[in-house]
Amino acid sequence: MLKIKNLHASVEGNEILKGIDLDIKPGEIHAIMGPNGSGKSSLASVLAGKEEYEVTEGSIEFEGKDLLDMDPEIRAREGIFLAFQYPVEIPGVSNIGFLKTAINDIREHRQLPPLTAKEFLQRTKERQKLVDFNSKLVNRSLNEGFSGGEKKRNEIFQLAMLEPKLAILDETDSGLDIDALRIVADGVNKIQSENNAFLIITHYQRLLEYIVPDIVHVLAGGKIVKSGTKELALELEEKGYDWLKEDALNKTV
Amino acid sequence: MKSENEIIDDFTAREYEFGFVTDIEMDVLPPGLNEEVIHFLSAKKEEPQWLLDWRLKSYEAFKRQKMPKWQNFEAPDVDFQDISYYAAPKDKPKYESLDEVDPELLETFEKLGIPLNEQKALAGVAVDAVFDSVSIGTTYKDELRKLGIIFCSMSEAVKEHPELVKKYLGTVVPPNDNIYASLNSAVFSDGSFVYIPEGVRCPMELSTYFRINSQNTGQFERTLIVAEKGSYVSYLEGCTAPRRDENQLHAAVVELIAMEDAEIKYSTVQNWFPGDNEGKGGIYNFVTKRGICKGNNSKISWTQVETGSSITWKYPSVILKGDNSSGEFYSVAVTKNHQIADTGTKMNHIGKNTKSRIISKGISAGKSQNSYRGLVQIGNRAQNARNFTQCDSLLIGNKCGAHTFPYIESKNKSAMLEHEATTSKIGEDQIFYLNQRGIDPEQAVALIVNGYAKEVLNQLPMEFAVEARKLLSLTLEGSVG
Amino acid sequence: MLAQVDTDFQEQITNTFEDLSNGVFSSEPESLQNWRKEAFSAFMDLGFPTIKNEDWKYTNVKPYLKSNFTIIPNLQEIQNGIPAKTENFFGKELSAYTVYVVNGKINFEKSNVPDTNSVRIQEISESYATDGFLSRLKCKRDYSINPFLALNNALFTQGIYIEVEKNFQLDKPIHLVHLSDLDQEYFQLAKNVVIARQGSHFELIESVENTGHNNFFRNASTEILVEPNATFNHYKLQKGSENIRMVEHTEVEQQADSQYNNYTFTFPGYQFVRNNLNLALTGSNIESHMYGLYLTGGKQLVDNHTLVDHQQPHCESNQLYKGIMMDKSRAVFNGKVYVHPIAQITNAFQQNNNILFSDNASVYSKPQLEIFADDVKCSHGSTIGQLDPEALFYLRARGISESEGRSLLVNAFAFDVAEKIENPEIRELLENEISKTMTGVEY
Repeated sequence: MLKIKNLHASVEGNEILKGIDLDIKPGEIHAIMGPNGSGKSSLASVLAGKEEYEVTEGSIEFEGKDLLDMDPEIRAREGIFLAFQYPVEIPGVSNIGFLKTAINDIREHRQLPPLTAKEFLQRTKERQKLVDFNSKLVNRSLNEGFSGGEKKRNEIFQLAMLEPKLAILDETDSGLDIDALRIVADGVNKIQSENNAFLIITHYQRLLEYIVPDIVHVLAGGKIVKSGTKELALELEEKGYDWLKEDALNKTV
Repeated sequence: MKSENEIIDDFTAREYEFGFVTDIEMDVLPPGLNEEVIHFLSAKKEEPQWLLDWRLKSYEAFKRQKMPKWQNFEAPDVDFQDISYYAAPKDKPKYESLDEVDPELLETFEKLGIPLNEQKALAGVAVDAVFDSVSIGTTYKDELRKLGIIFCSMSEAVKEHPELVKKYLGTVVPPNDNIYASLNSAVFSDGSFVYIPEGVRCPMELSTYFRINSQNTGQFERTLIVAEKGSYVSYLEGCTAPRRDENQLHAAVVELIAMEDAEIKYSTVQNWFPGDNEGKGGIYNFVTKRGICKGNNSKISWTQVETGSSITWKYPSVILKGDNSSGEFYSVAVTKNHQIADTGTKMNHIGKNTKSRIISKGISAGKSQNSYRGLVQIGNRAQNARNFTQCDSLLIGNKCGAHTFPYIESKNKSAMLEHEATTSKIGEDQIFYLNQRGIDPEQAVALIVNGYAKEVLNQLPMEFAVEARKLLSLTLEGSVG
Repeated sequence: MLAQVDTDFQEQITNTFEDLSNGVFSSEPESLQNWRKEAFSAFMDLGFPTIKNEDWKYTNVKPYLKSNFTIIPNLQEIQNGIPAKTENFFGKELSAYTVYVVNGKINFEKSNVPDTNSVRIQEISESYATDGFLSRLKCKRDYSINPFLALNNALFTQGIYIEVEKNFQLDKPIHLVHLSDLDQEYFQLAKNVVIARQGSHFELIESVENTGHNNFFRNASTEILVEPNATFNHYKLQKGSENIRMVEHTEVEQQADSQYNNYTFTFPGYQFVRNNLNLALTGSNIESHMYGLYLTGGKQLVDNHTLVDHQQPHCESNQLYKGIMMDKSRAVFNGKVYVHPIAQITNAFQQNNNILFSDNASVYSKPQLEIFADDVKCSHGSTIGQLDPEALFYLRARGISESEGRSLLVNAFAFDVAEKIENPEIRELLENEISKTMTGVEY
């Protein structure tokens, strides 16, 4: 589904990603862990097409198409969803209204007819229940006045509504208490299927107890320095990241 | 992908949609302003002597007036002798029924989305259409008449209801109020007259559409709305003009009078030709709008969506004379290219427990300048007066300007006033967020702008809110894609 | 023209300018002479401002100019004859380097000037050759918004020059005490220049008092330069005799990384005060704070005009002005924030809150924003109101009497400004004065 080859990217001339290789197949859950400033969120931003990031080398293929050629909304319509680390507030723009626009734009792109009002309403109700999202929040302005946890849960609700092929969760767990974390994870597990894939970016192992990854990658200094099974996450929790850095250093020397 | 700048360039460069000219034979008075012109005008309209005298007196006042200097732009040097003060379709200036109206004219209004044909008319909206200086037709007239409501052109009102016109004309905006009000009082051509009798709730929206068509003409309509005790009316005006290279003057006067327990809601969707991308041509929209809450518990509410005109210069105001009366002003003003807007309101609190609320949303793009100017004045007898003002400015690009000039005055210790203003821009992160959900940049900007203006748009009657929303998006969107 | 003012005074102004031009002015540097000429001709065109001038819309100065004022350019001989009553002015108890400026001249004998070469405090008339003074002559001023400044620049002969050396940090504030005591109605024209050199750090307090019995009109202007990385705290303590009328014009140029904080506190007393405070932010990473409190009483008119001119990116300005109007007094607040197209990432805030305490008092607030850059956070708020009735009810429900509750709330309202003062001694002085002023005031 997603093939990243030797990806280098920089912001204002500073290289942040220094050669990333990643291959994600349908049905898989990948987790990316790593210390602060290792480039985790940058990778998410590059995938979503954030303008400040300049890709200087390498390629990203999504379902056989060159992702780097696409505008952010085209990537979204192709099936990439980013659950933002810091969801923005947009006063006056209703959550539900904007989702309707988004869904129908995506459907149009996939040559599907727009949802009727009834179908849309039904999907809203259904998905709201699925991810346990407060119906009052659905009708409010986009993220305006939402608590941190409510914003994160709104991201998961949108994920459920838009049915992407690849969902990237950028530190969705940070700042969530354990109950909210469980709800978010439950939602993700319900949405997860053989046809979609998840890339979960996190600093903590905690989330991975609830969403079990197939593969765990460790990102440090803009590179994937180690990949392994979910046990790697536990090891990281115990030992921290320093041993890996040394390890990586030894390898490159 | 398109950079933010490209998006902005695209949508700020969008062309004016209603710039066509209707080819109709017109009766046009040669340019020039003097007493003879006023005599001619008045005679053409078969006006009574008192109105001619009133016009001449106003003309005297006009000659004494000086162009003000306090506004935040250089007042254009309008050559009043270069304007024609009368233009009307040549044949049949008066129609017995809409069937007799020149089909080309009807087509014009169709093109503008204003069907005058009653069968097709918007449900529950009575329309008066003014083409250059003459009212073309008023729909639903008979139905309204049954309730005692008068809704007709000003010329007709002068003939049919002279006592009402004489009693109220110029009582809210006196002929010497300002230079353009004086000019209008001297040469006003037509306009709408509304009278709602005691205790009547007008069952439908009343609406006037103004269209400037001829070259070198000014449009000087005069609107007068009187709401008697306990009555209610909602009124909407819309306006368009063809694209021309010269500037054209629109100097209207609107007077609203609300008696005890009466309520008047006045909405404007202004989309005069704004000039081209270089700032050439466009309408000078210099309008005096003022209402008086004469009786206790009365209410006047202004809502305006201003997207057109090369210069918009107006302050729809409310004199809160009656105790417990309230005034509202909701405004969205969008400027782009070289447009200028200096608009806002005046709330003059005289009576006890008077309330006012001002919500102003300015959006500036391109090289435009957008100013909010507002006065809230609390007199020393206005016990417990309340005002809330919020004026926000949104900047798109850094070649435009947003300005806020509030004047807040209080002479009463029990009064409470609150004014807030902010300036911000459309955040790149907001656009990106919407992009990430599959919405293209152009639509994202439209969504954000509509969200920003929501509080004002919500004040419009439903049919027009949809129209206004579309207009806002169109004005700002352009042809990205 | 000058038609609205007494023709005698007009003649006096013209004659004084001519006399001085032929006299002391002729030995001044040429740039200063030209500056004076330009200012004088601007003043002759403009005259004293009327309410038709947008910047003087609510402030009619005509009644305050009506006295039989005399401009006395050379006070030397008079001053020697009169002992200054230095014991009587607001802020006397503050520990500071107190500099007495009596009828426009420094009284070094009584003053306590810092004993260091790093701080220069001298007569303006002895400073015309300094870099600091000459650098201020290069600044163009828009006289149309304050004709008093034109008059001041044309005619001043008095004033103080202060310069603090690079990286010098003064241990105590300098306290300029402007005293006047003359046996005639005196129209003073004073020019002060304050230069804070790079990286310096100091505080200046200003008090004005008229110990005589005659009307006194002070037309003062202060030119301030805050060089890169310098910090300058400026306090104006405005409380004194009712026969004082005053127009204080302050121009501040701030350079990169500098900080300027202005605290203007006006209490009942002076008949008329107009403060103009104009800040030009000419570098990046500048911080400016302007705090004002005006408690007005009697028939007082207090008018605060501010202008913050954001010329460069990444600066922050913050204004908080609060007022309580009592008796038959009037107050005006007019604040403007101007953000130039290149001044991106500007944060500019402006807040003005007012409470009317009397049915005969009035207040006029005109906060303005003029923004030409899009990546900015600018806001202003203005309120006019009364004490929060719910807060008062809450206090009463806890057993506090109504009057005590009121004074608690009033103090809280005013202390909000005072607590921004870092210097504890000045803060305490002002807080005490606020309590004293507001105690027992009928609401």
